[in-house]
Amino acid sequence: MMDELSMHVLDIAMNSLAAGAHRVEIAVVESQRHDFLILRVRDNGRGMDAATLARVLDRRTTSKLSRKKNIGLGLAMLRQTCEMCDGHFHMRSVPGSGTSVTASMRLGHVDRPPVGDLNSTILALCATNEKVDVQLKYRTDKETFQFSSQELHQQEGTKP
Amino acid sequence: MNLDELKKLKEKAQRHVALREGNKKYRVVVSMGTSGIAAGARDVMTTMLDEIEKRGIDDVEVTITGEIGLVDAEPVVRIEEANGEKTTYANVNSEGARQIVSQHLETGKKVETLAVGKVKEA
Repeated sequence: MMDELSMHVLDIAMNSLAAGAHRVEIAVVESQRHDFLILRVRDNGRGMDAATLARVLDRRTTSKLSRKKNIGLGLAMLRQTCEMCDGHFHMRSVPGSGTSVTASMRLGHVDRPPVGDLNSTILALCATNEKVDVQLKYRTDKETFQFSSQELHQQEGTKP
Repeated sequence: MNLDELKKLKEKAQRHVALREGNKKYRVVVSMGTSGIAAGARDVMTTMLDEIEKRGIDDVEVTITGEIGLVDAEPVVRIEEANGEKTTYANVNSEGARQIVSQHLETGKKVETLAVGKVKEA
């Protein structure tokens, strides 16, 4: 199991990369005032049709046909965590234009895993492919933080 | 999670981007599928990046890949050399990650205790 929500984020975002996304937008919204936490991973990958989307939360569903082991649990585990913490799990996908996964939970729920090391998650994603723009938006009641790996490349003077 | 931590992200990512430029002797591939992540692959990767930076090794590129089918041996790290030789390390923890950097990447000596197999590329 994943100990931190940031690990789930990495896991979901790896699906985006596997789907050929050029842009992965990660949003984390943490509100003490309204007692919720929302994680959203949105990509512009190849997306899924309705039938695939309906199947994707089943155990053992994986896009890799060569795999016979019991894998394909990533999304199901995140959904379980959401439901355990009084939240919701929602996926939307349009073939050819991308997928969005939204997970919410009650911030103060006793079982809510810590967000954990988001930095490592983003750094790992940046390491896969420099052509992919990995974006992070982190918002609390008071502050907002934004990051984009593509901006970084532009600052470095390398080709995006 | 706090914002002060996140603010270090830009700086850190910048350094890692710089690390990627130029020709590399070694390519480190960390398996980052669901099973890898759950077994601690992310921390293995960041430990390696930190160690590589600390030791000033500049001929290494670190990247990640999806599920590779060695689910029960995760975290798995593969080192690919410029001459095509590949070494796969299994059940790598932070200690192992540091060992791989200090031995294999710095001195070219494989960490036999962690290696599961070597494949010579045709």
